[in-house]
Amino acid sequence: MMQVGPSAFLALAAVLFTLGLYGAVARKSAVMVLMSLELMAVAVNLNLVALSRFITPSEMTGQFFAIFTMVVSAAEIGLGLALVLAIYRQTRTIELSSIDELKG
Amino acid sequence: MAYVALIPLLPALAFAVLAPLSRRARNRMRWLGVGAVGASLALSLVAFSSVWPGGQDADALYHASWPIAQVGGADLSLGLLLDPVSAVMLLVVTIVAVCVQLYSLAYMRDDDRVGWYFGVLTLFTAAMLALVLADNFFMLYMAWEVMGLCSYLLIGFWHEQEAPRRASQKAFLTTRVGDVGFAIALAIIYATVGSFEFTAVLGAAGSWAPGVATAIALLLLFAAMGKSAQVPLHVWLPDAMAGPTPASALIHAATMVAAGVYLVGRALPIFEASGVALSVTMLVGTITALLGGLMAMVQHDIKKVLAYSTISQLGYMFLAIGVGGAVAGTFHLVTHAFFKSLLFLGAGVIIHASHTQDMREMGGLGRHMRWTAVTFGIGALALAGVFPLSGFWSKDEILDAAWNGGHYAVFFLALAAAFVTAFYVARLWFRVFAGPAQTDDLEEGPATMLLPMTVLTVITATIGFAAPAFSSFLGHEGHWPDPLIAISSSAVAFAGLGVGWWVYGRRDAAVDTNMLKERAGLVYTVIERKFYFDDIYEHLIIRPYIWAAEALARFDSEHVDGGVNGVATAWCRVAEAAWWFDVNVVDRMVNEVAHAARVAGSNMRRIQTGGVQVYQRYVLGALVLFMLWIVVKGA
Repeated sequence: MMQVGPSAFLALAAVLFTLGLYGAVARKSAVMVLMSLELMAVAVNLNLVALSRFITPSEMTGQFFAIFTMVVSAAEIGLGLALVLAIYRQTRTIELSSIDELKG
Repeated sequence: MAYVALIPLLPALAFAVLAPLSRRARNRMRWLGVGAVGASLALSLVAFSSVWPGGQDADALYHASWPIAQVGGADLSLGLLLDPVSAVMLLVVTIVAVCVQLYSLAYMRDDDRVGWYFGVLTLFTAAMLALVLADNFFMLYMAWEVMGLCSYLLIGFWHEQEAPRRASQKAFLTTRVGDVGFAIALAIIYATVGSFEFTAVLGAAGSWAPGVATAIALLLLFAAMGKSAQVPLHVWLPDAMAGPTPASALIHAATMVAAGVYLVGRALPIFEASGVALSVTMLVGTITALLGGLMAMVQHDIKKVLAYSTISQLGYMFLAIGVGGAVAGTFHLVTHAFFKSLLFLGAGVIIHASHTQDMREMGGLGRHMRWTAVTFGIGALALAGVFPLSGFWSKDEILDAAWNGGHYAVFFLALAAAFVTAFYVARLWFRVFAGPAQTDDLEEGPATMLLPMTVLTVITATIGFAAPAFSSFLGHEGHWPDPLIAISSSAVAFAGLGVGWWVYGRRDAAVDTNMLKERAGLVYTVIERKFYFDDIYEHLIIRPYIWAAEALARFDSEHVDGGVNGVATAWCRVAEAAWWFDVNVVDRMVNEVAHAARVAGSNMRRIQTGGVQVYQRYVLGALVLFMLWIVVKGA
């Protein structure tokens, strides 16, 4: 059975984070951007759990931290979707490129 | 004897009460002045009776002094000295003042500032009473100046008109010229004696160096010449006739103008110590007596005739003192005060009735105003010196003193002045009361005006017989005039009256006065132009003064103002430079900073696109750069 080391977790997390980052920067839809943010949060959680498992196995710090992060990002996504809904009511669109009222 | 202090104090208090009141209240309170002066008259009678029978022993019967201040070691005090001379003066002043005040109640009734008139008249009386009671030169000087003020106020009483205004200024300034002499004399007296008291000063007069006595005496004489309108400082008195007639009677005939004579009489020991000053006094008096009489001959204004007559008679008094007849001079002062105030009050009635002061527009008043004609006539005859009226006695005493003093030239000049006096008196009376009437609507004055005149007439008619008693009262040997002198002076007086009648009084006399003018053209012109005194002053003093003032004003506006303006302009330039610096340096700096901020802002706004993802890219770029920096640094 192949031993899965920490570098594999870190690599997977890096891939997920990069995908999330790309989505957050490049997607047009606000909902897709929020989903990409979730993806980045997942990558961070994965790092926390993996590093905690491999570096300090006797303690559960990373796992606890990951659970907190998941709670916070759930609340955050709720808030974000509410904002998107409010924006949609105002402007009838959720395309970020057309929401630029704060243009200087 | 302390009631003596009340004599000047009561009228002064009356003025102090009247002065701050409103005009209407003052008009209602005018009786206060009359009452105060009346009370002073009563007290003066008591004071006089306490001095009687006078003589040398009665000197300084009452003497009191209250120090009021100390200035540089000099004790200044208000002091009262009641001696025979001041007792006589008290009576004269208060009697004439009461008569004038009663007369004024009717004469000034319709004036809307009558209360102020009575107030000033009362203040004047207070000052004159203080002057005759003063025991030192300093207090005399103070009262002297207050009288000058009152004179100024009363001459200019109708200050709505141009003539009274000018006359009051002229009177004030002319007398002030003399007053400067008084002030300097006071300084010399204090420097010499260290006191102003009469007794101290006059007692020491004999021991001074002759120059000092002469200087003081001449300066005092100069002051007296201003106050008593002696040539050449007489020019103010005729103009002073612009004031109310009763005020002229009191101030410019009876009392204030006599203050100069009183001063010379008081300071007589100084004049006697000098000798020269006595001669100068005689000279001034003689010239004034003659010139004043001549000028009175040609005046048409009834009050101006009386004014020049006053000048002339005051000249007589100076003449008398100058020839050594101080008692005669003082007696003439007394008699003149009564008959001249009588004449002025009569003139007031005449002016009231005929509404003019010009004698050419009068005539025939005697038929309608018999009582005025009689009383005025008695006053006029007294002025002319006709036996047995008071003027005869006092004038004879003066002539007597001149003859016995060996001043024969003065004696004959005085006789000539007496002739002139009689002539203008006749002219005055006949022009006004005789001849054809010019109008018919003439009314005799009211009883309130005639009563004071009657009182004065009685005094004028009878006081002459008191001549010897008067001399002994003042401590000199009394005597009746020398019959020869009495006869000669009477002859001259009747000659003057006769000529006056012949020219103006005859039934077929030429009514137009041009006759004299044609007969004596040049002389008449010189006299009519008042010996050119006013013209000389105009050209010698007033014009150069105005010219100098204008030159100074020009210098002021051109040079002094130029300098000031130059400084101001320089400051304007400095201010402009500061303004330029402010705008171009300080403001510009501030503006440049603001401009830079604006440029920066408008450039920076371009990166503020409002797109969330753009900002994310910035963050991402920055993160990448940051990580690169760590990697590079770590390597």
